[in-house]
Amino acid sequence: MASPDTDAALIARVVVNDDRHAFAELVRRHQSTVRACLRKLTAGNLALADDLAQETFVLAWRNLKSFRQEARFSTWLYRIATNCWLADARKRKEELLGDADSELPDDEERADPAQSVSDHSHDAALKMDLEKAMRVLSEGERAAIVQCYHNDLTHEEAAYVLGMPVGTVKTHVLRAKQKLKAQLGAWQR
Amino acid sequence: MNANANDTDAADDWLEAALRADAASHAHAYIDDAGFTARMMSALPPPIEAVPAWRKPVVTAIWGVAVAGACVAMPQAAIDVGREAFALLAGQRLSIPTIGVALAVLGLGTWSAAAYALRND
Repeated sequence: MASPDTDAALIARVVVNDDRHAFAELVRRHQSTVRACLRKLTAGNLALADDLAQETFVLAWRNLKSFRQEARFSTWLYRIATNCWLADARKRKEELLGDADSELPDDEERADPAQSVSDHSHDAALKMDLEKAMRVLSEGERAAIVQCYHNDLTHEEAAYVLGMPVGTVKTHVLRAKQKLKAQLGAWQR
Repeated sequence: MNANANDTDAADDWLEAALRADAASHAHAYIDDAGFTARMMSALPPPIEAVPAWRKPVVTAIWGVAVAGACVAMPQAAIDVGREAFALLAGQRLSIPTIGVALAVLGLGTWSAAAYALRND
């Protein structure tokens, strides 16, 4: 049985022959990671994440000739996806802030892990609170956490994806952790 | 998890562990395609048809006919424009380098306009 084409071979077929079947194969290979990344960035908004994923792949198709292989194809896709999300988030900024204000518990109402554990498993409850706490992060901080943790990128790769210096990525991660600690203080043991 | 994410002190371990656990569950959760690729491919712009070989000469000829037609339809305007252009040029202190530069600029302008008009996309 023939071995499957590498990403580079498929990209070459798309660029040279305008091969849509090759691009479909690339989409099939990377749709899960791109959609998962966008689901994380959109705080679980599945419909929005899929719309942005579609926009991401359309942009990838249009700009594939400019992909110089200086990064992995998946990293390049993360970069496009993050830019799509940032552009959309800026458009929806007021709406996003409204959601965060209404759904996040304030200091007095912050989730009590002991109560949560009675209903859910400890890990599941912490995961839910973490999901909520992520919403207080700025766009840059949330994107930095998603790239460094969920997409398992190095700080250098995350800097490429986010289009910012490595030092700024590290600062975003640090600030994000401080905010998450403050939001999830009740979980600290 | 990436080693870069480890620059935290011991007090952050619980948060680090929570982020790692969340990331691990994210990493293992494959999202089924469920028609996504098909929808995505149908959203791509349609293929661009190749420009037929006859297009460039025909477009050039149309421009030529249009200019000649304008001269025939408005002969006085064409003569006036020609005279004014001649007077303008005749009034200049011309030298070979100046004429060379003027021709180069004119040629570049014509080439740019033609390249823009005959572009493929």
